[in-house]
Amino acid sequence: MIFQKDPIPVTDLVATAGNDSDGAIITFIGQARDKSRDKGVSHLEYEIYEEMASSEMKKIIDDSYDQWPITDCVVVHRYGTVNIGETSIFIAVSSPHRDDAFKACRYIIDTIKKTVPIWKKEFYSDGSQWISDRS
Amino acid sequence: MKITLKTFASIRDIIGFNQLELDIPDDATAGSVIETLAEKHEGLASHRETLLIAVNSTYCGSDTTLKEGDTMALFPPVSGG
Repeated sequence: MIFQKDPIPVTDLVATAGNDSDGAIITFIGQARDKSRDKGVSHLEYEIYEEMASSEMKKIIDDSYDQWPITDCVVVHRYGTVNIGETSIFIAVSSPHRDDAFKACRYIIDTIKKTVPIWKKEFYSDGSQWISDRS
Repeated sequence: MKITLKTFASIRDIIGFNQLELDIPDDATAGSVIETLAEKHEGLASHRETLLIAVNSTYCGSDTTLKEGDTMALFPPVSGG
């Protein structure tokens, strides 16, 4: 797993995912969108508690290998400024059969959103808001 | 005893710093540290029900007893992805 400020090279990562024993490579690409609850969004800022994020992410990936016969798992998450249309998170999971890779990929993104200490702040023309504050 | 307190996102905005060394009583818990902070920072009250606590990078409850040298972190619900 990687946390980085720089843009994620999605095409390169997809090209290197999986190997010849895999029948499926499932990817999830999270993207910064330009609207949120009817407000225009100019950009996002992600803050990270990197030491803990690394340990929580490792738990998720280890759990995935325990639960499904997956062969490879790549997770890259941005922090700092993410502009509209850019990838904020990239996940690739490979396995001999697609069902396992689909399930593992879904588990990984859903659990990241619940446990990995990363926070998103949306910026608008008239201010900004931490997303965790409004649910 | 001394601990390190880290805060993130909206909690950092309320407390006003992202890392601080704190001198706390030997029997202090995560909850008692939060109580002390809440006395100085009124804005923390509205976050109490959703506030998340980690000690040494592991999620824990407010009843967790702290030890010398621990790193305690306070933050709102996560919102990555």
